[in-house]
Amino acid sequence: MKRRVMVVDDSRLVRIQLEDALKGTDYEVAAYCRSGEDAIAQYAAVNPDLVTMDIIMQGMDGIDAAEIILKEHPDARIVMVSSLAYEDTFERARKIGARGFVDKPFYQEQLLKVFEEALA
Amino acid sequence: MNSVLTQEELERILNQAVQDVTERTAGVRLHPEDKSPGEDLCTVQITFDKGFHTSLTLCADTSLLYRMACNTFHEELLEPEDLEEFGKEYFNVLCGRIAGAMFQATQIPAHFNPPVFYHGRYEPEGREIQFVLTYSNEYNEGAQLIHHVPCTGEDEASAERN
Repeated sequence: MKRRVMVVDDSRLVRIQLEDALKGTDYEVAAYCRSGEDAIAQYAAVNPDLVTMDIIMQGMDGIDAAEIILKEHPDARIVMVSSLAYEDTFERARKIGARGFVDKPFYQEQLLKVFEEALA
Repeated sequence: MNSVLTQEELERILNQAVQDVTERTAGVRLHPEDKSPGEDLCTVQITFDKGFHTSLTLCADTSLLYRMACNTFHEELLEPEDLEEFGKEYFNVLCGRIAGAMFQATQIPAHFNPPVFYHGRYEPEGREIQFVLTYSNEYNEGAQLIHHVPCTGEDEASAERN
């Protein structure tokens, strides 16, 4: 059975790239959310194996959204995805319990490696 | 940017980011070439507001940007708003990559405002061109990445304000 991924990103470009990267793998996109608020609202209903969370989005940022999801669902596996992050951002993400970090634009191999580590 | 890195180092960072991000996001290979884009252009521009007080402008043939957007979105026909959406998202990822590479080289974090899209050529006010990197693809469609710095007077005024 494929592992179900919830993609949280306000960028259509990144959503399509993620979908392309997961084709032919053991993962499938179970839901798209365009904002952190949407992800919080949908998480329980989707119940994904893994979440990919953009950091810089309109409205609530991805780390705040991840923190709320993890408070409500401590077993959630969340991987942060961003084109720009510095050490303080990594530290913030690690502190709230994010399981990994992927740079945009990503390669399939790199993405899958982070996913496997996050689910281990 | 230019006060921390030599122009040569900065050009190398920008060039590597443009070629890598364009191929990875849009499947288009851009080669450095001295060919200016044509008349039908689109411009995407970003201003760095922390760490580096400069701006980057991508000025590309509309046909090139359209080709890149079609490849990325897996569509044969696009609406004008799709082109703008693609241009902004692509440039956002590109500038994120550039800012990351700049940080690796200088340990100075850079932040930038959301990209702005224009039909035609756009020159930011109060800034002058430091250098231009010019590219084309296999269909002879062209693009320029332009590095702007504050005009000398603007730079001094900004320093006084800060």
